[in-house]
Amino acid sequence: MKSFFKQRNNGKAVGLLAAFAFFAVLPLFIGEGYISLVNEMLILAVAASGLNLMMGYAGMVSFGPSGLYAVGAYTTALILIYTEIPFGLALIAGPVMAGIISVVVGWFCVRLTHVYFSLLTLAFSQIIHTIIFGWYGFTHGDDGIVDIPVPEFLSSITNYYYFSLIIVCICLALLWMIVNSPFGKTLQALRENPERTEFVGIHIRRYQLAAFVLSGVFLGVAGSLYCGFNKNVFPDFADVMKSTEMLVVCLLGGIYYFLGPAVGSIVYIFLDKTISSFTEYWPLALGLVIIVLLIFMRGGIVGFFSESVAAMKERGRAKQHVSH
Amino acid sequence: MNLQGLVIQLLSGMSVGMVIFLIAVGLSLIFGTLQVLNLAHASIYMLGAYLCFWISSMLSQVSGSFWWSLLMAPLLVAMFGGFLEVLLLRRIYGREMLDQFLLTFALILIIGDLCKLAWGVEYHTVDTPWPLDKAIIFGGLVFPRYNVFLILSGPLIYVGLWSLIRYTRLGSVVRAVTYNREMANALGVNVPLVYTGVFMLGCWLAGLGGALVAPMSAVMPGMDMVVLIDCFIIVVIGGLGSISGAFLGSMIFGLVTAFGILVAPRLAIAFGFILMIVVLIIRPWGLMGKPER
Repeated sequence: MKSFFKQRNNGKAVGLLAAFAFFAVLPLFIGEGYISLVNEMLILAVAASGLNLMMGYAGMVSFGPSGLYAVGAYTTALILIYTEIPFGLALIAGPVMAGIISVVVGWFCVRLTHVYFSLLTLAFSQIIHTIIFGWYGFTHGDDGIVDIPVPEFLSSITNYYYFSLIIVCICLALLWMIVNSPFGKTLQALRENPERTEFVGIHIRRYQLAAFVLSGVFLGVAGSLYCGFNKNVFPDFADVMKSTEMLVVCLLGGIYYFLGPAVGSIVYIFLDKTISSFTEYWPLALGLVIIVLLIFMRGGIVGFFSESVAAMKERGRAKQHVSH
Repeated sequence: MNLQGLVIQLLSGMSVGMVIFLIAVGLSLIFGTLQVLNLAHASIYMLGAYLCFWISSMLSQVSGSFWWSLLMAPLLVAMFGGFLEVLLLRRIYGREMLDQFLLTFALILIIGDLCKLAWGVEYHTVDTPWPLDKAIIFGGLVFPRYNVFLILSGPLIYVGLWSLIRYTRLGSVVRAVTYNREMANALGVNVPLVYTGVFMLGCWLAGLGGALVAPMSAVMPGMDMVVLIDCFIIVVIGGLGSISGAFLGSMIFGLVTAFGILVAPRLAIAFGFILMIVVLIIRPWGLMGKPER
C-alpha cells in the first residue's frame, strides 16, 4: 500500500480522495434512480479497467470479455439460487470461476497474435454464450435467472451502492498496483515490442496468460457485482454487443490512461441514458460518437484533456523526471 | 432419419453455405488486400437485402422486378461501399487493430439504425421470383427451385472471382498490392484506387448475397449480426484472405450446421465455433491460407 501512495504526487492523491468522497456523499443528494445509474457506472468501470489491463497495457485486443463477465455473473447467480452458500462466498466464487475459465481459454488464446487472438477470444465467448443459452435445465436459457436472493442488508439500493463502491475502489487500487508493478511494466514493454522483450529473457506467453487471467478475474468481479445489483442475469451478458460495449467504453475514456476506462464508463452510461430517453436511435448516436472519437480525439476523453493541459504541466513534469 | 431427409438436409445446408460464401469471400478479399477486418461487412449484406426488397417493391408492376433488383441492389451497395472507403476507412489504414474494429463496429450501429429509419423494424418479405417459385420433384424428393439456383450460383461466382484474380491483369495488380503494398506503389500501381476497388468488389458480393437471401428469409433488423459471426467462422476455417478457403469454409460450415441441427438442435450454433477454435489452435492461418510472413 505504501508504494501505492508513493508513486503519485500529492495532487493526485488529493484528487483521488476527493473523487472517493464525492461518490460517498453522492447518495445524499440524488434520488434512487440516479444512485442505480451511478452504481452501474461503477461496476462497468471495474469491467472496463480489467479489460484494459489486457488491452491497453498488454496490447491484447479481446473480442470476448463479455464471456468472462457472464461467467462471474452466472456463477454467483447459480450458487445463490441452487445452494444455501452465503452471499459473500457466492460473490467471491464468481471471480474465482472466471479466473479458472480464463486460465483454460487464455492458455489457447495467447498462442495466437493480432486478429487471430481476437477471433479466438470471440469464439470462446460465443461458446460460453451458447452454453448459457442452450443449457436450459441448469441456466434457464433465454429466460435468464430472475429474483436472485440477496441478503436483507444489501437489498436497498443505497446500501448496495456503498457495498459496490467499496469493492470497486479496492479493485481499482489493486489494478493500479498491478500496472505500476514490475509485472505491469513488463506488460507494457511486451505491447511496445514483443521481440525485444523476449530477448531480454521474458517468457512472453506466460506474461500474456497472467494478464489474461487477471483481466478475467476483474471481469468476473464486475459480473458478480452486477448480478447482485440487478438481481437478474440473462444470456445476453455474454453476447458480442456486451463485449463491444466494453471496448467502446475503454476507447471513449482512453486506453493508454489508467483512469480512461473508468471515465469512459461514466460518460458512456450517461450518454446512453440521456440519449435513449429522447430517441430510440441511441446506436446511431453512439456510432457517430465513436467515429468522431477515432478521427478527432484519438486519446479518448482522458487523453484529450491531459494533452490540452500538458503544455501547462510541461515544466512540472520535466522537474519530476529529473528527481526520479 | 431416412435417406430422403438426409439429401434434403444436405441440399439445404449447401444452399445456406453458398449464400454465406458470397458474404464471407468479400470479407476475406477485403482483409487480404486492405488488412482490415471489416466488422460492418454483414451490415452491407443487410443493406443489400433491404435494397432488394425496396427496389422490387417499387417495381412491383414491372415483370421480373426481382431480377432488376438483383442487378441494381448490389451495385448501389458497392457505390455505398466506395463512399465509405474513401470517406472513412482510408483514414485508419496502418492504425492499430482496435481502431479498425471500432470504426467498423460504429458502421454496424449506423447502418443498422439507418435501415431501421428507412424501412422500419417490421419484417419484410420478397416473393420468390418466376421461374424459380416452384419446387423440383425428383424421385420422391421435393426441393425448392430457388435453393437449387443458390447452390449453382455459389460455384459460378467462385470460379468467376478466382479467374478474375488469377488470370486477368486487374487480378495481378490486386495480388501485387496484397503481396507487397510498397513495392506495388513504387512500380506505379495506384494503391488507394486498388483499395477502393477491392472494397467495392467485396461490398458488391455482400450486396449480392443480401439480395439473393431476400426471397428465402425475412428482411429485418438484426439479420446482420448472425451472418457476421458465421462469416468469421468461415473465413477462419478457410484462411483469411483466401478465396478458395472461403469456398471450402462455406461448404464445411453449411454442412456442419445443417447436420448439427439433426444431432443437437440447441447446440447447433456451437459446432461452428468449435470448428473455428480447433482450426485456430491447430492451423491459425486456416485450411487454405498461408502462414503469416
